[in-house]
Amino acid sequence: MKQVSRRQVVQGLGAAAISPLLMQHGAALAQSGDIVIGAAQPVTGVFAFAGLQMHYGLMDYVDWRNGKGGVQGRKLRYVMEDSGFKVDQGVAIFKKIMAAEKPSFFYCDGTPLVKAITRDAVDSKHVMTSSTSLASAVADASTTPQHFVPGATYGRLHEVLMEHVAKTWKGAEKPRIAYVYTEAEFGIDGIPAGKARAAKLGLPIVAEVITKPGGVGVDVSTEVAKLRRARPNIVIFQGYINAPMPEFARQMKEAGMDVDIYGTAWGLDKPAFDGLANVGENLTGVSLYAVSDEDVPMLREMRQHQAKVRSGTTYLSPFYISGWFSGMVFAEIADRCLKDKKALTLDNMKAALESIKNWDTGGVIGLPVDLSRHEVLAGRVIRYNPAKKSMEPAGEWISV
Amino acid sequence: MRTGVFYEQYLSEERMWNTPVKRWWVAVLVLLLLTLPFWSTKYLLAMACIIGIHILATLGLNLTTGNAGLISLSHGAFLGVGCYTVAYLGKMGVPFFVTLPIAGLLAAALGVVVGLPSLRVKGIYLAIATLAAHFLLTFVFREWGSVTGGIQGTSIPKASLFGYALSGDFDNFYLIYGLVFLMAVAARNLARTYIGRAFIAVRDRDISAEILGVHLLTTKLQAFAIGAFYAGVAGGVLGYFYGAITPEYFSLNLSIFYLAAVITGGLGSVLGSVLGAVFMTFVPELLRLLANLGAQSFPGLASIVLPMGQVVFGLLIIGFLVFEPHGLTAVWRRIQRVFHLWPFKT
Repeated sequence: MKQVSRRQVVQGLGAAAISPLLMQHGAALAQSGDIVIGAAQPVTGVFAFAGLQMHYGLMDYVDWRNGKGGVQGRKLRYVMEDSGFKVDQGVAIFKKIMAAEKPSFFYCDGTPLVKAITRDAVDSKHVMTSSTSLASAVADASTTPQHFVPGATYGRLHEVLMEHVAKTWKGAEKPRIAYVYTEAEFGIDGIPAGKARAAKLGLPIVAEVITKPGGVGVDVSTEVAKLRRARPNIVIFQGYINAPMPEFARQMKEAGMDVDIYGTAWGLDKPAFDGLANVGENLTGVSLYAVSDEDVPMLREMRQHQAKVRSGTTYLSPFYISGWFSGMVFAEIADRCLKDKKALTLDNMKAALESIKNWDTGGVIGLPVDLSRHEVLAGRVIRYNPAKKSMEPAGEWISV
Repeated sequence: MRTGVFYEQYLSEERMWNTPVKRWWVAVLVLLLLTLPFWSTKYLLAMACIIGIHILATLGLNLTTGNAGLISLSHGAFLGVGCYTVAYLGKMGVPFFVTLPIAGLLAAALGVVVGLPSLRVKGIYLAIATLAAHFLLTFVFREWGSVTGGIQGTSIPKASLFGYALSGDFDNFYLIYGLVFLMAVAARNLARTYIGRAFIAVRDRDISAEILGVHLLTTKLQAFAIGAFYAGVAGGVLGYFYGAITPEYFSLNLSIFYLAAVITGGLGSVLGSVLGAVFMTFVPELLRLLANLGAQSFPGLASIVLPMGQVVFGLLIIGFLVFEPHGLTAVWRRIQRVFHLWPFKT
């Protein structure tokens, strides 16, 4: 048997004694390098149209912020992989980036992925997450404490919409409202809150049409007949990016119905307002953020940056603005922790997030932002301007 | 060159791993799996867990579709049944070694109901009947909020064994691959029993099978029940692995994924189930990583380079169907033959 010398024993004891110090030093090093933002973005697959914009938004913000000196002198580093909007793929990406990069922030492609990684994210104690999801389930700090929604949840958006309608409707009688939504989470989530606010404001909901997810295979003529019988003044679509909204609009017009068409959040992007404009309808709806060509400081920065890195692109999609805004919140959380000389642990970052009140977002959201409840409690109604062929503000920012 | 395998008694021939070489391979595989969590990266470990879950589900569908010839498009929904069962019972404090068999049994019971149309219809008509079952079950997942959490999904408590919580991929890996091993051996053994032979008889010609004394009603329902049992257990393990799930996971795409795994792997073979699940999970991931590397090298072309992984994967599946309809198992056996007959050519 090999003899162990006294020297070796002393060396071993010495190494054991200093190892905690070395580990602390290692942790300190981890706290002094780049601040990593990981992301599983749906750059391919069914949500590629949105994923690419969210990816560009977050990537551009990181570039822009680093150009301004980073966060407290530390650079942001963005590590993205394509999730294809598949949970398995997204989880694999999350685990890969968590192991290889030890990110402080992680951006998910939607509600299913947020749910699937929550346990690991919380157990890791060093990552905060955000995503494109506006579901109320992921804004609940008791079940997803590591997560925030980069805007208002669907429920809040519908409440804003009802408030706007109640304030601005000019008819003698209260407007009759109909809902058309998909049976996916994207469609259903905000409806109960919208109906509750409508009831509180005395706005009658006269019809509800539920379609298959994505509006695929909807028998529009039957549904329009149902809407016609209900005689609504306003039809609110929820959960569609484009189809079947234009077909609904066309058939409602042919049926002699005079209705305003409303939408929310992602349903106000270019495919939706262009699609409706093609059938002569001007889309109205409640937006999370300022609109593409609005003259506010942060959107000017976005436009300038986009012109620099992606010349020829002038339109700022809400998905792009969402990606950028998520980056802003990540940086703000890191900034608050580092200013207070606190490590980027989940507890510290969650406390920093919840301390964000009266935050000036440079006009991305037109009110001082409060993120203490892991979501933004405000939105604003915008409307399509056929002369400019773009959306423009149609009211004040409303806080709910 | 190996000239043959000689047995001294019938029992030796009937053994599952009937040659020393096979036994060595199995021993090496078991050793690799047992030590994998110690030498692999966290990413590979997570991928291995996901692949393991898909192997469990593919084994089940291969028994129903590959062995018994009954097409099922409701397999993904059976996973959902297992997952929600585990979530519901887990919240009541029922341990995983009880919830998983119950998840399997509940899925199996539903499998029997879904399998009833197979007594009257087959082929594409049966596929449509099972498709209806898929939509019915996913409707229940979305609407039965008190049990499933509705559209917002539900969380699943960690599996625990005598007070020790199985958390993280390290622990889950052993749970998953323990089940994979047991259920793969069970599937292999099943094929050698009366039930397994009845499956094949029904698949090849059900009228002849009935004339030979195979009870069609029992056999077909058994095929659906056993396949669904595997899916139920896989769904339960999936729940424990992710910790939370939404109904969107159990889409029709999931059922098609398993059908593709069975076809690319090889119909009616345990090895085919394993190879198919690995192929369907790992190859797209590998292509995605390559596409990602390409996109990093050419950032301006990211939107073109990234989808290329999916294009190549689609071409690979078409290539398999055209050039090797018997799946990866046939490729594997050909490779085996090359080694057996070396230095001669096959």
